[in-house]
Amino acid sequence: MELLDFDVVVLGSGIAGLGAAIHASRSSKESLSVALVSKLHVMRSHSVAAEGGISGVLYPESNKDSKDLHAYDTIKGSDYLADQDAVEVLVEKAPEEIKFLDHIGVPWNRLGNGHISQRPFGGMSIPRTAFAADKTGFFMMRSLYDELLSLKNVEIFNEHFATSLIRDGNEVHGFVAFDMATRNVKAFRSKSLIIATGGASRVFSFTTNSYSNTGDGTAMAFRAGIPLKDMEFVQFHPTALIPSGILITEAARGEGGYLRNANGDRFMERYAKSKMEIAPRDIVSRSIMTEIKEGRGMRDKESGLDYVYLDLRHLDSKKIDEKLPMIKEITIKMLNIDPSKLPIPIRPAAHFTMGGIHTDIKGHVMRSSREIMNGVWAAGECACVSVHGANRLGSNSLSQCSVWGRITGMEAAQNAKRVRRTSAKFERMAEQEEMRIIELAEGKGSQSPYEIRDALYNVMDEHLYVYRNMKGMKLAQKRISSLRKRMKDVYVKDKGNVYNTNLRETFEIANLLDLAWIITEGAIRRHESRGAHVVAEYPKRDDKNWLKHTIAMKSIGGVRFEYVPVKMEGWQPEERKY
Amino acid sequence: MRASRYTIFMYGAIIGVPLLMMLTVVGLLENNPYAYTVLPALLGVAASVFAATGYLETFAHRRYEGSANRLEEGIASASKMAPRNTGGKIITFVLKRFNNSTKALDSATYKVRATERTTVLGALLEIKDYQDNTISVRCNCRMGVCGSCGMVVNGKPVLACETGALNAAKDEVVEISPMLGHPLLKDMVTDFDDFFERHKSVEPHLYREDTKEKYAAKKEYMQSKEELDKFLPYSYCIMCGLCLDACPVVNSNPNFIGPQALSQAYRYHADSRDQKGKKRLFDVDSMDGVWGCEFSGSCSKACPKGVDPAGAIQLLKGDLMKSLPEN
Repeated sequence: MELLDFDVVVLGSGIAGLGAAIHASRSSKESLSVALVSKLHVMRSHSVAAEGGISGVLYPESNKDSKDLHAYDTIKGSDYLADQDAVEVLVEKAPEEIKFLDHIGVPWNRLGNGHISQRPFGGMSIPRTAFAADKTGFFMMRSLYDELLSLKNVEIFNEHFATSLIRDGNEVHGFVAFDMATRNVKAFRSKSLIIATGGASRVFSFTTNSYSNTGDGTAMAFRAGIPLKDMEFVQFHPTALIPSGILITEAARGEGGYLRNANGDRFMERYAKSKMEIAPRDIVSRSIMTEIKEGRGMRDKESGLDYVYLDLRHLDSKKIDEKLPMIKEITIKMLNIDPSKLPIPIRPAAHFTMGGIHTDIKGHVMRSSREIMNGVWAAGECACVSVHGANRLGSNSLSQCSVWGRITGMEAAQNAKRVRRTSAKFERMAEQEEMRIIELAEGKGSQSPYEIRDALYNVMDEHLYVYRNMKGMKLAQKRISSLRKRMKDVYVKDKGNVYNTNLRETFEIANLLDLAWIITEGAIRRHESRGAHVVAEYPKRDDKNWLKHTIAMKSIGGVRFEYVPVKMEGWQPEERKY
Repeated sequence: MRASRYTIFMYGAIIGVPLLMMLTVVGLLENNPYAYTVLPALLGVAASVFAATGYLETFAHRRYEGSANRLEEGIASASKMAPRNTGGKIITFVLKRFNNSTKALDSATYKVRATERTTVLGALLEIKDYQDNTISVRCNCRMGVCGSCGMVVNGKPVLACETGALNAAKDEVVEISPMLGHPLLKDMVTDFDDFFERHKSVEPHLYREDTKEKYAAKKEYMQSKEELDKFLPYSYCIMCGLCLDACPVVNSNPNFIGPQALSQAYRYHADSRDQKGKKRLFDVDSMDGVWGCEFSGSCSKACPKGVDPAGAIQLLKGDLMKSLPEN
């Protein structure tokens, strides 16, 4: 085993991870040693798939927008579960991030006067989503990666898969990972660790997410005894392509696209009369599923999936080429559908993990509902600050990742300058983890990880989708528990050391099972319908009993739950109508 | 799994039941209950139990699938519930797998049922998950934007995730090999270290004199649509490595920096926000830089995102010529 020492280690390389590495490096004037570790090539993280844009108030003087209004939209969109102080940080810092991204090369779409162009997005009262065509995430990733290459003190570790955090008492000292190219195990010891490993929507089979979104950091944190917050809130994006689940950006509706059912009606009229297609995602997803449930959807014969249409035929084809080129490219390449001529078959797909690692407002990871864990931060989708509450508004994720990427990067660097920390147990714990990796790689078993994963897909897709009910969730609870038992007897067939994806995927599937379990347990306990979590037996939001965050913590033999109140700064809950 | 359980059941039934009957009859005829009746009876019981277990497992499996297949209130759930083996055609996939211990490409053949929508990546993952877990493929977004899955499909360098299996097939055969212009790791997976170094060597980032202002941005830099259009086509590069794989010059002279890095040098050079000026041009003004390009155009043909590296290299050459002092 190789032991590597760094001042700051960033685990995960999406927009939050790259941002954290850049700002940790820059804020220390390139004096600290920084490592960026990713299970992928760092420029290929799932953030590249973000399409529509990034929110932020850029021109309040000309379009009457304000940070207050952005905050209000976000809090209302969150169904009042967002921490309002965190939302204030988001709206305050987001504009600066958009300008920083401009300074490192993002090719923003521009207005005639040279200003950055902004488009309407779901739940935003004013067009405030800056965009670079419909590849915003991709351009941000490339610019951040290129900027990172200009910094001298950052070492990049491509394709290293982390399996466990090393925690000693109230401090996290680093983690153990294996190099995909050689299967050599390496222990990364850090003064400050930033976890930025992304979401976990791969617990569902029908998802917009990349194969990599298996919530590895979140699952590792949970196993290290770190509490997870609000995991039951999973966002279903209304428009994912049949049958693959590839994302069709909300910008398609922001730019004027319609949703139509089998009769050709613009059904959103019945559900959100004023916002229509650009109501928040939870509402649009439920509307689509209600249409399908009531028999006004269509069925795709090959996949068996029911769907409705996203109709862009009335949009100017020049507008599509300029603002939605990737949507056109994808629908033509995948389904041979030209969006100017034919409507696009879509249905809701798992898209974003609102919950995640419990952090304070600066992204510092907690060790209980109220106490801080030393030496570790979390940023991006894997973290729950919480700014999205029960439902994230489109384009707030890129701003969240940028804002907390910077904050955690700077905080981690500050901390690394201050502390001189050692753990006597580090090496021994790392060696134990190395043994565990080797045992799984070389051991015997009878269960195929892929069959377990497929069974998990069936459970989650059936029982924890857009509409949930207690009976279904309890069945899911039972099945997940039996799958977790089967996982103990799992078998890695590939015995090679070089680029063994079979081994990596087996670890990933174990992570998915842990997170599916916590999602389900949290969902069963929340007896109300709020944002993306809707239960048949409890159809109403219940502010009296449930205006609080779920905190899930590992306990002996299982998981235990606590609840902490939402932080309010003056925005009172009101009925959510659009 | 299911087929093998069914087979066990059938063998159990075919061998066990007649054996039991025959030996029991023999035992009765011989009138020796211990030697000829109890032993065969036990054998028969064992065979039946074996058969029954096989049957039960088959049944349990079916029942589980059945419940998963139940359509609640007529809503097809989102998982893979439709029968997989209907429609489409059986396609033979011949994989040229790189074996890292022998350093050879071994051929392996698999069959997958493919429809109009099956992508080459989808088929590869189906083979990996259900036929041979030891296959390694690098992939992530499956929507043509992360740049992971560049490989050679029936002779063409493509992204596997946006290549239709039926379209790619010739006589219902798809042959897949890794990009041989890169160092190989395993199966379809290539080593990108060298490729990333080439990219890094052109200092591909927006250069600003005032770095302090860059990191504490108060105002955006103005840019007109015309200025944007100058570099936008070259900013689509997803770093998939297909252009480098296709380049005949790099393949014979590894010192040539290659189309990807040069296209990125041009991308930042053409950006009105960049302040590096002519230095960026001079950095690539060498025989292993822009002048190494022989303009075969293979890179631009291979690029899955419509970046035109060959064009970018010619534009760099043109700008270099223009920047020479007049005499």
